[in-house]
This record gives sequence, structure tokens and C-alpha cells, in this order.
Amino acid sequence: MEGNSFDPDLIRAIFQLVWKRRAAEREKNERKETVEAEMGVGTSKKNRLTSANAYALKLSCELLRLFVTEAIQRAATIAEAEGSNKIEATHLERILPQLLLDF
Amino acid sequence: MGSDMERDDEEEEESVSEILRDRFRLSTISIAEAEGKKNGMQISEPIVACVSDLAFKYAQQLAKDLELFAQHAGRKSVNMEDVILSAHRNDHLAASLRSISNELKAKEPQSERKRKKNTRKEDKSNADVHYIADP
Repeated sequence: MEGNSFDPDLIRAIFQLVWKRRAAEREKNERKETVEAEMGVGTSKKNRLTSANAYALKLSCELLRLFVTEAIQRAATIAEAEGSNKIEATHLERILPQLLLDF
Repeated sequence: MGSDMERDDEEEEESVSEILRDRFRLSTISIAEAEGKKNGMQISEPIVACVSDLAFKYAQQLAKDLELFAQHAGRKSVNMEDVILSAHRNDHLAASLRSISNELKAKEPQSERKRKKNTRKEDKSNADVHYIADP
């Protein structure tokens, strides 16, 4: 593993934002569905947000780093084949579909 | 009133999301530039920004996947198996994640052993008792 990767705290913050948003949405939907019944049972279950352990975060950082490095490497290959030494939009366009399928 | 507050929340969330996106972009730039240098390639700026946005979207998608996987397993906490599972479509990717996860596990073994080193300090209270001789 190289020195520069993503900061696990940053990734945690991003994940938690998504989880908070989804929890809020879920709560809203549930409130619509069950207007009156079982308020007590629902709240205790809903309020706990998803969390991630430290290893999982580090591994996620690694996964995202792989995504970025793959994108650059594949685009670099195309750029090289075209005899250019700068990666431009067209090179990224060429590799993008397969990249998105691979991740 | 309620909708106003909700709108404020949304705005705040939006700005938090913006900050995270910027921090994410800075990390991406350094990773991408290091990778470009390794390949002897320059990368035009919009491309790095584009890759960064893609990776950010991917991170958000990943968060959703991981939550669903953890929930499906009846857990509230995401662990490494969930992350590896998220790459199940790509055997190579899953294999390299698995090897990274083994590395991580080997590097930092659980620090539970510290707990057993409980020193038994049974302070005997009579140590504090001073016998004062009667004059």
C-alpha cells in the first residue's frame, strides 16, 4: 500500500452522511405508513444509525483508491497508444464504460 | 415553519456534502497525480475533477450497498466482509481486497490481550494505619 490514500475519517464522514440521509428517509416513509400504531417499538429500532468498523473503512479507502488508480492507468494506456503524453477527455471516455462495469 | 426548518436542514446537509466533496477531491488529485507520474503521463485538470466526482458518486453508492449488506446480515455495523462482498462482481477486485484485508488483520492483531494484564493490586488498608505510640 502506498503512502497517499484516502483518509478513513473522510470516508466515514461521507458514509455517515449517506446513512443519515437514508435513515431520515426511512423514518419519513414509516411515519406515513403507520400513522398511529406502535410508536414505541419503531423508534428504538430506527434511531440507531449504521456504523462501520475501522478495518472496513480502511478497506473502503483502498477500494476507492483502486478505482482512481485504475481510471488513470487505463486512460494512460489509451493515451500512450495514441502517442500523447497527456490524458485528455477522449481517453477517459474510451475507458469509462468498462471501468464502471468493473466497479 | 416545519418546511422552513426542513429546508434549512437540507441546505446545511448540502454544504456539508460540498465540503466533503472538496476534501475528497483534494485526496483524489494527489492519488491521481502520483499515478500519472508513475506512468509518465500528465493529466489535464478537468479529467482529475471528473474522476474525482465519479469516485465520490461511487463512494456514496458504496455506502448504500454496505448498509444494505450489513442489514441483511442482521448487523448495525459494517465490517470488512461487507466491503469485499461489494466487489463480488469482479473476481480480481474481490481477490485483491481479500488480500488487503488479510494484510490489515495481520498488521494489527486485536489488542484484547492488554486487558488480561490486570495487575492485582490489593492495597491493604492496614498499610495506611499508623500506630502512634502512647507517650
